[in-house]
Amino acid sequence: MKRSRDALFKNMWYIFVTKMPVADEIQSSWADEVEIDQGALPPPSEVVENGLKIVTEYKYDNDNKKVKIVRTYKIEKRVVSKSIAKRKTWSKFGDSAEDKPGPNPATTNVSEDVFMQFISSKEEAQRPDDSDLDGLKPPTSSVIFKCRTCQGEHWTSSCPFKHTQLAQTKANEAAKAAEAKAASSTNKYVAPNMREGASRGPGREPPGARRGDDVAAIRISNLSNFAVEADLDDLVKGFGPVHKLYLAKEKSTGLCKGFAYVHFKFKADAAKAIQTLNGHGYDHLILNVEWSKPPQNN
Amino acid sequence: MKPLMLQGHERAITQIKYNREGDLLFSAAKDSKPNVWWSLNGERLGTFNGHGGVVWCLDVDWQSIHLITGGGDSSCRLWDLETGKNIATIKTNSSVRTCNFSYSAYQAAYTTDKAMGHPCEVFIIDTRTIDDSISSASSILKWEITDSKVTSMIWGTLDETIITGHEAGDLIQWDLRTGKKIHSIKEHSRQINDMQLSRDGTMFITASKDQTAKLFDTSSLELLKEYKTERPVNSAALSPILDHVVLGGGQDAMEVTTTSTRQGKFDARFFHLVFEEEFGRVKGHFGPINSLAFHPDGRSYASGGEDGYVRVQSFDQAYFDYTFDYNRD
Repeated sequence: MKRSRDALFKNMWYIFVTKMPVADEIQSSWADEVEIDQGALPPPSEVVENGLKIVTEYKYDNDNKKVKIVRTYKIEKRVVSKSIAKRKTWSKFGDSAEDKPGPNPATTNVSEDVFMQFISSKEEAQRPDDSDLDGLKPPTSSVIFKCRTCQGEHWTSSCPFKHTQLAQTKANEAAKAAEAKAASSTNKYVAPNMREGASRGPGREPPGARRGDDVAAIRISNLSNFAVEADLDDLVKGFGPVHKLYLAKEKSTGLCKGFAYVHFKFKADAAKAIQTLNGHGYDHLILNVEWSKPPQNN
Repeated sequence: MKPLMLQGHERAITQIKYNREGDLLFSAAKDSKPNVWWSLNGERLGTFNGHGGVVWCLDVDWQSIHLITGGGDSSCRLWDLETGKNIATIKTNSSVRTCNFSYSAYQAAYTTDKAMGHPCEVFIIDTRTIDDSISSASSILKWEITDSKVTSMIWGTLDETIITGHEAGDLIQWDLRTGKKIHSIKEHSRQINDMQLSRDGTMFITASKDQTAKLFDTSSLELLKEYKTERPVNSAALSPILDHVVLGGGQDAMEVTTTSTRQGKFDARFFHLVFEEEFGRVKGHFGPINSLAFHPDGRSYASGGEDGYVRVQSFDQAYFDYTFDYNRD
């Protein structure tokens, strides 16, 4: 009984060659080529040491240059069920009859790492099939021009409200708003310094801060460099509904530039925010909060 | 994990299968020599030389003693797995499209194509003793398929039925005592390329050219789930340990060169069994995947493609850590 169990254990230990990095091709140095006579290749060698089998081969490549191929195999022992262990002792047959133990590089290779890409089917549904080309097509539906008076999809000169009171009052501010809007929303080229969010230099304010006189906008300055929109949102949402948040950021680093504009829905909320937040300590700095000034004419 | 690339075939892979314990991986291709590999390290154990043409199908019995293959040379062959010897050859009238051992391996079934003036036929043979006598012995049961030909076949529960998938998309369950139809359904609109049983045999998944894979109950042929893609599905497999399904396919081999859509669509796609939603993809093949198989331990899978390669891909930990997002309400 004991003997047969020993035999079983012996069966269960066998060699599996599992890891097989891609063959390293090392060009032999010129010194080697001088030493070894042309035509005589060094004999292939096989070294097995501390769990690694290193096979070295020499051959001529297509340019008739000598190439040294080193393959490293990791030898692993695994305990498996008896039937599998027994099958592992089978000798090779058919076209593999001549193969040595271990994988034959002619039939078995290790390819590049491939990882599973996790996707959600919603993403998949939204992704157009040939998205690369779609971006190049001109937009067909969106209208490029707009009436300055009523924002309709017709030229200003053919506006139905041309001679009405509306036109008179709206003309000035609408023109400005439309201009700002056009700069940010149409497909036209816009110089980098004109784009929304870009710094406009001293004396100017970012386009996010532009508004009519009745807008309840406040300017918060002396913010920490590390402030993000979420912090700002936390700071002001207690005062009332916020229409818009603008946090000035350094374009290259994405860090806060130290000031922000907040548009409240109601002027009263804005006033309350100024009253409370001005001089409020926030992230080791003392905030300076004031009414946002109208853009300077330049 | 780096996949193993098995380059034993010169032409497109037609079918790959693991044995029951998963230590051996079999591959058949449109060249004449089926191969067998050790799945762990990709070492080739041998080739089965003897067929004179395409090998369409293969199957191994549960004890890993015999292999059955069927091919375009109008023969169905039985092989000894240990030595690779061709024990028996059954001559048929037309090429053999599908062949499978029953679970007990007491019987095997194979189907022939409708070709060369011969009809599509289903044969059940006795495989309790496999030797030369099988070549001359008549089959236990055979019947003709009059409408569209059989393109895939599996054994049902308890070796009492077989289920055939047809070129027109029909699924038919046959009673082997009488050779009569028990159930016949048509859930697919085009050819059924592949059918694979779940681990316990209660469900099976079909892969069809109509760009879907569907999950059916094995005994009632009730449609349970549907997995939709935008390309013909050549093969589908069910994970033995997780609620996952892997689909493989791609454009038809002959259409690949004439269509100019972006490269790809040859990846293996993983769907959730229950939610029917795709959650992952694995790239690798340069052509459509023709056959897929999960390792019985569920920790790796193999795919055989039109490019002639078999790729054995072990799953990373990320695959096992992945949980499918859903609303628990």
